[in-house]
Amino acid sequence: MTGARKPQGDGLSEAEAIERAKQGDAEAFEVLYNLHKRRVYSLCLRMTANTAEAEDLSQEAFLQLFRKIGTFRGESAFSTWLHRMAVNVVLMRLRKKGLSVVPLEETMETDEESPKKEPGAQDPSLAGAVDRLELQRAVEALPPGYRTIFVLHDIEGFEHNEIADMVGCSIGNSKSQLHKARMKLRDSLRTSRAAKAEKP
Amino acid sequence: MTCAEFQQVLPEMLEGDRNTEHAAHLASCSACSDLISDLKAISEAARQLRALDEPSPRVWNSLEIELRREGLIRQPQREPALVPSRARRPWAWMVPVAAVLLVGFGIIVYQRGSDQQAEMAKNQAPVAPAVAVLPASNVSPSHRSDDDRQLLEAVGTRSPETRAQYAVDLNHVNAYIQDAEQSAQSDPNDEDAQQSLLNAYDQRAMLYQMALDRSLP
Repeated sequence: MTGARKPQGDGLSEAEAIERAKQGDAEAFEVLYNLHKRRVYSLCLRMTANTAEAEDLSQEAFLQLFRKIGTFRGESAFSTWLHRMAVNVVLMRLRKKGLSVVPLEETMETDEESPKKEPGAQDPSLAGAVDRLELQRAVEALPPGYRTIFVLHDIEGFEHNEIADMVGCSIGNSKSQLHKARMKLRDSLRTSRAAKAEKP
Repeated sequence: MTCAEFQQVLPEMLEGDRNTEHAAHLASCSACSDLISDLKAISEAARQLRALDEPSPRVWNSLEIELRREGLIRQPQREPALVPSRARRPWAWMVPVAAVLLVGFGIIVYQRGSDQQAEMAKNQAPVAPAVAVLPASNVSPSHRSDDDRQLLEAVGTRSPETRAQYAVDLNHVNAYIQDAEQSAQSDPNDEDAQQSLLNAYDQRAMLYQMALDRSLP
């Protein structure tokens, strides 16, 4: 719940900051922003793969949250509320730009979108270790539909039923797209590792 | 079970739906075993991307300006001080003075523009730029620079990060003022340019007000 967060800044806990922000206290808004800025910004950055847009969306998400903070009653975790709002802000922006946020149904996909390689057939295995920055680059290179599902499930920790609700697809589709996203990432990481190994 | 069959059930299996047939295939197939291991490693590494990146300070600055503009951040109700605090905030007098100067400046620019428009209509003769004849002391860059230095010193006592953040903001707003001044000078009858100039001064006054709030005990 909201009070679980450790005190920030001048000893203000999250719960205290929420109450003071409802009264219009500038410092309280800043405390709440500082508590959640990295998570919200990282979410926006992963979903859009664009720094300027991620900054713009982070600002918009916090602004929407702060406009509604007077209605927050603490029945749910503040962070859950905020992150759900951030996801909605991003999805709305992606839809406005005409980018695919709803993954293609399996029946509409071509064979090219499914992984072709036999497991372990060519590139070296990742051996259970994945470099964070390499993964970040590989996620950015994913098609938007796959990226959305992967970010929401594997990075943000949303369940398939929540993702289906937010994105507007079936639970089965969310599961299937997640698997394909992971397979694409694996291919991409293995290719990049093989290319590095070939360099003298 | 073949590798292809195994791959088909893989999504459900990764969700925890395992049986003895899957386990037997995994025990006998190193390729599929590697695949499972890689996919798990990707999922685990993904969690580290959750809060990896730090947004630029300008996100909070823009947000704070917007929150003030919308009235979500309200001025604190201060109890009357028993001891004048001006000694601790030697630059605090600049906020009301700057506000008065800005309003006066805006009125002069606007009136000059209106007068010149009327004059042009009457005489069809070219007019001199209004901003150029204004007293430069109100808005001169050297005055701005001195004021900014004092402000940065004041906010710097709070933290070096805050000081750096204000330095960037002041640079931006001063650049905005400079652009707006040039536009207003090049076309004194352009009301949009005059409005931009007033907005630019407004933003600068807002920065000073924010700094003043932050420096309060």
